[in-house]
Amino acid sequence: MTDPIIQVKNVSKIFGGLTAVNQVDIEVPEKYIYSIIGPNGAGKTTLFNCISGFYFPEKGEVLFYGDPIQGLSTNLVAWLGISRTYQNIRLFSNLTAVENILIGLHPNLKTNWFEAIIHTKRFQKEESGSVKEALRLLDYVGLKGYGDFLAKNLPYGLQRRLEIGRALANQPKLLLLDEPTAGMNMNETAEATHFIKRLRDELGITIILIEHDMKVVMGISDRISVLDYGTKIAEGNAAEIQANPRVIEAYLGPGGAALSEKYKKQRLSNAKSN
Amino acid sequence: MNKKLVSPSLKRGLTFGIVMIIFVLIDLDVMVATMLSKLFGANVIRGSLPDVGFMVLFLILFGMFVGWSTSSDDAKPTTKLFQALVAGLTLGVVLGLFDLILNQLIVTGTDVRKYLAALAPESIRLFLFDQGAISPLLHLGLFTVASLLGSLMKILLKSESASRFFKGVKSGYQGLQAKAQANTPNWVKKYGKFLLFLLIGLLAFFLPRIWGSYNNYVVGLVGLYVILGIGLNIIVGLSGQLMLGFAAFFAMGAYSVALLNAPLPHGIMLGFWPSLLIGILMAVVAAVLLGLPVMGMRGDYLAIVTLGFGEIIRILLKSDLLTSFTGGPRGIQDIRGPTLFGQSFSSDIDYTYIILVVMVLSIFIYKRLERSRTGRAWLAVKEDTKVAQATGVNIMTNKLLALCLGAAFAGLAGGIFAARNQFTGPNDHQLMVSMNILSILIVGGVNSIPGIILGAFTLKGLPEILREIENYRLLVFGGLLVVMMISRPEGLWPATRPNIEKDEGNKLKEDGAPGKGGLND
Repeated sequence: MTDPIIQVKNVSKIFGGLTAVNQVDIEVPEKYIYSIIGPNGAGKTTLFNCISGFYFPEKGEVLFYGDPIQGLSTNLVAWLGISRTYQNIRLFSNLTAVENILIGLHPNLKTNWFEAIIHTKRFQKEESGSVKEALRLLDYVGLKGYGDFLAKNLPYGLQRRLEIGRALANQPKLLLLDEPTAGMNMNETAEATHFIKRLRDELGITIILIEHDMKVVMGISDRISVLDYGTKIAEGNAAEIQANPRVIEAYLGPGGAALSEKYKKQRLSNAKSN
Repeated sequence: MNKKLVSPSLKRGLTFGIVMIIFVLIDLDVMVATMLSKLFGANVIRGSLPDVGFMVLFLILFGMFVGWSTSSDDAKPTTKLFQALVAGLTLGVVLGLFDLILNQLIVTGTDVRKYLAALAPESIRLFLFDQGAISPLLHLGLFTVASLLGSLMKILLKSESASRFFKGVKSGYQGLQAKAQANTPNWVKKYGKFLLFLLIGLLAFFLPRIWGSYNNYVVGLVGLYVILGIGLNIIVGLSGQLMLGFAAFFAMGAYSVALLNAPLPHGIMLGFWPSLLIGILMAVVAAVLLGLPVMGMRGDYLAIVTLGFGEIIRILLKSDLLTSFTGGPRGIQDIRGPTLFGQSFSSDIDYTYIILVVMVLSIFIYKRLERSRTGRAWLAVKEDTKVAQATGVNIMTNKLLALCLGAAFAGLAGGIFAARNQFTGPNDHQLMVSMNILSILIVGGVNSIPGIILGAFTLKGLPEILREIENYRLLVFGGLLVVMMISRPEGLWPATRPNIEKDEGNKLKEDGAPGKGGLND
């Protein structure tokens, strides 16, 4: 195991009387695809918000390459190299696709407003460079030819891709994907799964994934954590998670594990008799 | 015919009848007739009434509009005519009844101006075509015929052959355009834009010398409001902060120039240009002082706070406490104008030049800001503040920057405004100024320079030119806003986003750098 890129240590987030995330520990090694699963309301997105700086956790630490980042404002977190996408797509909907990616490039650029007015050499170079980079990224996420569409006019699947493109623009080291395949059909899901794998393999980005589609999760995750009522109830690789009775109970309710055993046996015997 | 067809037409006729009655009650009919007569070149002396023919023309146009709008698009021609007939008859009957009342007023010699200030007996007579008792019948006939005419016009213009005709004209025009484009020599393509700018520049240089001081005044006013509109657009349109106290920054610029450049109350006489710079600086300082505490606010809350800020500044300028410093409610007189190379540069022509140059400069700066990292960051903040921040945009600094730059434009416009009027007082910086600038943005089109120019011309220039509608300015203003919001909710000339991929893609192709990678390869 290589050094962890991000460590979530004993993090708790409390809303009023509700503990949304309760003393969660997560360690993600570099270049891993790490999935967080759990039933609805388990605190997955809240945990994401704690990592990306949207929320300030009441207890615990979030370490990025060993440095604490909890409490930093989100723009600093982005600047450090953590990008994210959102469960319900949040693009800049009245701007074009290219402009969305150009805004994603923002933390990498240095010129200020005054240089923009007098058009210094540095500004022109940076501007043309960033446009070129944005077009390259547009092509990379498969939106070539859609660059001048307003983001809100793009089809749903492309909006998801554009969001990933915008997140990739600031050359992140860690990418947080919040349900990237939600609302997609089987073909689209397969394509998206393949794409996420490529991000890790080609760009060397560490990816943390929230996902409900078990096919996706079990197919690409190097490691999986399961949250239930804010608490981490299991961690391991795909096979370990599938066999974990607590996970099955979290999804199917008490007695679920036994039930699932029964059905498994039944199916096995059916298969044998056939 | 069935009831479904009759009742909407009846209702429409009734509605327009009531609208016409209101027009008559506030004397708007006479005003429109006057404007029509001016349109045809008649020389109407102020206060006198136009020829009765123009009143007839107005009523016919009104009736035709009713007929046009009543005939539904998808109905058969006969149905359309029937609908128009019903609406026209209803309109005629409603107004006929109204005419009876009006006629009674004339006959008995009652003067209703005590209650309806605009309704003079002469106006009533004009509306009744001076025909007394038979005018209801005249109106009935006129509206019915006009309504049928309107419907007929719709049938003809919207018919298939007509649409084919228009299409033919359009394609012919496009063909001609393409031909013309192919035939233009290269030098025109290369220097055409330059020549156009040269022509506009020459016009801008010579026109102010020719067209007289009144037109210079109007153009200057429109120009100043364009500058103000650009400033406010940076705050509202680009960075999305609803600001209702913009006149406060305007006042900062105006009072800086006034206090530093007038004999009373201080007599500093610093000169116009340095005090204009100080005015811009003061506006920026005010923006920082306002901005720092309210940066966290958004939407309605920000609007109310900035509204309060604008009023505080105005009331402070007016207050007895500061009278010895700001001149109090009476304002500051005899502000000295600018000089250029030791020569006085403050005739009305010179001010037009200054304003036009500053306006062009403002547009230039705005354009460059918009197409830069900063401009895009502002737009992102406007679209979704939280996501913009999570994408790496520093919200605080960018919002404050927008506020400061917008305020700088306001200070600039304010300084020129004060020097041009040679006077400034608290009444120049009322809430209405802020509202006017915001209306310019909304009517013209947010984030669109042509829109802002068009809006400034519509809201500040037209009322100056059409002095007749003075009394109805607010009515027309309100009506215009309502119509605008329904028919063109994004403004007269809405903004479009740049086609970066198309433009830059072509440029890259010329450079010979093919795009790399891609999911679909």
